[in-house]
Amino acid sequence: MSKGFSDKESLGVLNNDVREWFTGNFKELTMPQSFTFKLVSEHKNILVAAPTGSGKTMSGFVAILSDLFNKASRDELKEGVYCIYVSPLRALNNDIYKNLSKPLEEIYKLSEKNAKSSKVTIAVRTGDTPQKDRQKQLRHPPHILVTTPESLAILITSEKFAENLKMVEYVVIDEIHELANNKRGVHLSLSLERLRSMIGHDFTRIGLGATLYPLDEAAKYLVGCNDDGTSRDCVIIDASWGKKLQVQAISPVKDMIYTPDEKIEQNTYSIINDIIKKNKSTLIFTNTRSGTERVVFNLKKKFGYNEDIAAHHGSLSRESRLEVEELLKAGSLKCAVSSTSLELGIDIGSIDDVIQLGSPKSVTRAVQRIGRAGHKYKSVAKGEIIVLNRDDLVECSIMLDAALKRHLDSFRVPMNALDILSQHIVGMSITKKWDVKEAYSVIRSSYPYSNLSYGDFIATIRYLSGEYVGLESRRVYGKIWYDEKENAFGKRGKMIRPIYMLNLGAIPDEVSVNVFDSKTKKWIGNIEEEFLTRLKPGDIFTLGGRLYRFEYAKGMRCYVSAAVSAAPTIPPWFSEQLPLSYELAIEIGTFRRNFSEAIQKHFKKSSLKLASKMPKELSEMLGSLPIDSNASKAIYGYFVEQLLFAGSVPNDKLMLIEITKDPKSGQNLAIFHSLYGRRINDTLSRVIAIHIGRRLGTDVGIMINDNGFLINTEGILKPSDIEEAITSMVGRDPEPLLKSNIRKTEIMKRRFRHVAARSFMILRNYKGYKLPVGKQQINATLLIKAVESIDKDFPVLKETYREIFEEVMDLPRTKSLLKSIKSGDTKYKIIKTQIPSPFAHSMITFGHADVVLMKERHEYLKYLHKMVIKRINASK
Amino acid sequence: MMLSEDIELIDGMPLLFIKSLNAIVVADMHLGYEGVMAKRGVLIPKINFKKMSETISAAIEKTHAKKLIVDGDIKNEFSKVDEEEFNELYDFIMFCRNAGIEPILIKGNHDNFVERYREPFKLSVYRQQAVIGKYLFFHGEELPELGKATKGIKAMIMGHEHPAIGIIDAIGKHERLKCFLYGKYKNIPLIVIPALNFFAGGTEINMVPRSELLAPIFSKLNLDSMHAIAVGYGSTIDFGTIKELRKLA
Repeated sequence: MSKGFSDKESLGVLNNDVREWFTGNFKELTMPQSFTFKLVSEHKNILVAAPTGSGKTMSGFVAILSDLFNKASRDELKEGVYCIYVSPLRALNNDIYKNLSKPLEEIYKLSEKNAKSSKVTIAVRTGDTPQKDRQKQLRHPPHILVTTPESLAILITSEKFAENLKMVEYVVIDEIHELANNKRGVHLSLSLERLRSMIGHDFTRIGLGATLYPLDEAAKYLVGCNDDGTSRDCVIIDASWGKKLQVQAISPVKDMIYTPDEKIEQNTYSIINDIIKKNKSTLIFTNTRSGTERVVFNLKKKFGYNEDIAAHHGSLSRESRLEVEELLKAGSLKCAVSSTSLELGIDIGSIDDVIQLGSPKSVTRAVQRIGRAGHKYKSVAKGEIIVLNRDDLVECSIMLDAALKRHLDSFRVPMNALDILSQHIVGMSITKKWDVKEAYSVIRSSYPYSNLSYGDFIATIRYLSGEYVGLESRRVYGKIWYDEKENAFGKRGKMIRPIYMLNLGAIPDEVSVNVFDSKTKKWIGNIEEEFLTRLKPGDIFTLGGRLYRFEYAKGMRCYVSAAVSAAPTIPPWFSEQLPLSYELAIEIGTFRRNFSEAIQKHFKKSSLKLASKMPKELSEMLGSLPIDSNASKAIYGYFVEQLLFAGSVPNDKLMLIEITKDPKSGQNLAIFHSLYGRRINDTLSRVIAIHIGRRLGTDVGIMINDNGFLINTEGILKPSDIEEAITSMVGRDPEPLLKSNIRKTEIMKRRFRHVAARSFMILRNYKGYKLPVGKQQINATLLIKAVESIDKDFPVLKETYREIFEEVMDLPRTKSLLKSIKSGDTKYKIIKTQIPSPFAHSMITFGHADVVLMKERHEYLKYLHKMVIKRINASK
Repeated sequence: MMLSEDIELIDGMPLLFIKSLNAIVVADMHLGYEGVMAKRGVLIPKINFKKMSETISAAIEKTHAKKLIVDGDIKNEFSKVDEEEFNELYDFIMFCRNAGIEPILIKGNHDNFVERYREPFKLSVYRQQAVIGKYLFFHGEELPELGKATKGIKAMIMGHEHPAIGIIDAIGKHERLKCFLYGKYKNIPLIVIPALNFFAGGTEINMVPRSELLAPIFSKLNLDSMHAIAVGYGSTIDFGTIKELRKLA
């Protein structure tokens, strides 16, 4: 639908008191509201995409309130839940409760003139809800229940509470963009279908979300499927572009290579300070938690800010985060600095300007972040990205251009996740005995399982019934019984209900490794498990602002010694780094192709020179991008250097492969300029490394980057080695090879443990025994081996591979890329260089990079660049 | 490979064969491991017993041994006999009968109550340490008692530590291999056997400091000079001394 209903029509459908309340409190209907009042009153499923501050919540709720007050006035309002509101954030739940309690009170006052009127009630139910409130909710259920996906899953499995859900007419899912793309959302989707089957009737589904694409897919997720597999009806209301964007990519200095670090840093901070001073409130995003801390520290130190500036990120305590949110809302902060935590969700009041330091790596994320600026729904969102290097510059320019053109990155719903399925089969078995076919059809009505194969479904049931151990042990291993003849299943034993309630959910336990001083055995701090797996003895890393040398690890304890005057060998943000999205990578690749072709075309006759003035037509081409003049010159210079040095610019249709040597370490490298997003690079680099390794009979090292990947081998690679590796790679299905390679990696162990926990194979809470995460991790390799020896397609194993291939890596798109290389649509070119070409420099210095200050990397970059220029000049 | 004229390490197997005793020696089987884990909520497939009995069968086939010396920790729990453990212990005794091999148990720290089965199953059970032929067997949670009874022994054999080595290759891949440790204690040869248990990955002797090791004997001998003989991928290879291997880590 493109046009909403008239205000008259919209308000006409409302209950008199609700209408009076609404018109008394709001001047007009917002764009989404002009659709939703009428559609919800007609019980249509709707999906609303709109930015924060657009009256989104009210757009979902007003017509529901109207219906409830109508029922009240007719004395038809019974005790029971009519509306369930689900959001992934507990903080948001408390917000909603506050924001709805007041209107409910006010409307009730208006309706008191009606003799029969009764109160419409609301209550929050999350993991934090005290026992006595739970009891109260059980006896006197609220009409509107505000909850989380996990608590909902518990409620629908609770025999007693289920009675209270029989009259549910509406389900509102808020922050749908935070759910549709992950397993938590998959979990919720199955809960809704179970609820529908349990109460025997459907309900109106209202999805609310921020900017996301494709909306069709989100709608399918929201409403689920009919018995014939088609999607249920849903009206999509796209108001996500209500705010205009005013954005720019800024280069802090003219010359991004030879300007001294101090100068770059100084300029960056003075640009930030100017923006902060100009505005009442500024929000700064860095990409990492450590970056956030450093920016706050430096701003305070350099410009004398004090309490008027604050950090907000996931490592801070809940209390201090809440405090920052309250201060922001109250307008008493001049500036807040955040990593990702303030990207979405909670209302943070009005922000004048959003600064992004370094590339946010996806168009959607850029839009979401910058969209936090601007006072009202209709006002302009103003934002800047300050870039850190030349690759960042090209990336951010294209990103902002795409944002202005409304080209967003797409998300994907995880399909057929067998671990979440396992949980729900157990949950279903608790409520009743199921006919397998009937259960299968309930599950298939959830969109993430709409094409679940019957074979996988039965394999999961068999696994849950404990068929993988002998009969005598099934009492312990089996969670359900499965009768093949009767084709039915049900719960096994009394313990299964508490097991289900205590272990359900899709979020894996946070794994943090304790770090101790190896001599004093004193606790120093925590690091992420993934970070530990990257450490070799002798590696130097930062923790809490100090440097430590890694000594050894035992189980989940890591031992270090203080390293005083050393440089870190491992960047602190390794696992925090945001990956470049596929769509944005393709857009950058397209720009690279168009712009480099334009340069070559222009210089067909006269010869291309370094430091030549940019021809008018080329500067016009860059002029259409949202960048300043420093930035524009830098991009031109960058492309010219690459063309002069390497003869070609890698792009969306050309993968440049450079055989070269790292001048610093002397390592032999093959640099693949593969610009398809990090997740494809993660996949492709492994596939090609396997083929090269097989040819040469050696181990092959890989280093993955957003703009490509590096392969290093002991000996020198010949072009023919790569040529043949590519030929054999594109000629066959990469999946089996990848599987056997992935098996031995850390990521496999880690993901397997998550999936095993979600599938109830490793119970985190069992008979009052809380299994420490460390214990879960021990011997994951051997656990995998044990499971494999039973069945290579064991559901827990199959799901681990699926999660890695589809959620961590991107096997489907890698497969299409391989096809495209095979058919010649995507070409590749192998060149040999003495030193890496300019476009490879940031890939090589990857290991030294950091956010604002990047000393080491920058020094090295200068060194590389000097050599390139020398070479170009020498060849004249 | 031959460790001495009398002691053979069979390729790829975490066990010894002693010719003069016609015996296979294993340690740390931890029977009932999965059952005990299951009671804590880790529902892993039961394959430990299956894998271990396959290994032992293969060793019997190769050596025609008539005895199986279990050098401690045949079962997993410390304080009690778990039902699952009892089942597997029973299966193990039946397995030995069928394979025509006589089990001899040296008690380890996990083996309280094992003696209870000595009578009904007619098992040979030794407490703490035992001299069999020219060898002293002890589990390892305590120091061996050397005296009259041990005079003239050729070697001491222990388990308990679950030794392994860690190797990080040039491109950062981390590999852990079970290993035997071979050295000397009070001038008598000492052999530490890796765990036979499938799920025991082992402690990386070359990577953790000595203070992290379990067996008290390691603070009384020259650990650095001990050789690590790694077992895995179907072969058994001497990787050299712990001192050298520390450089690999």
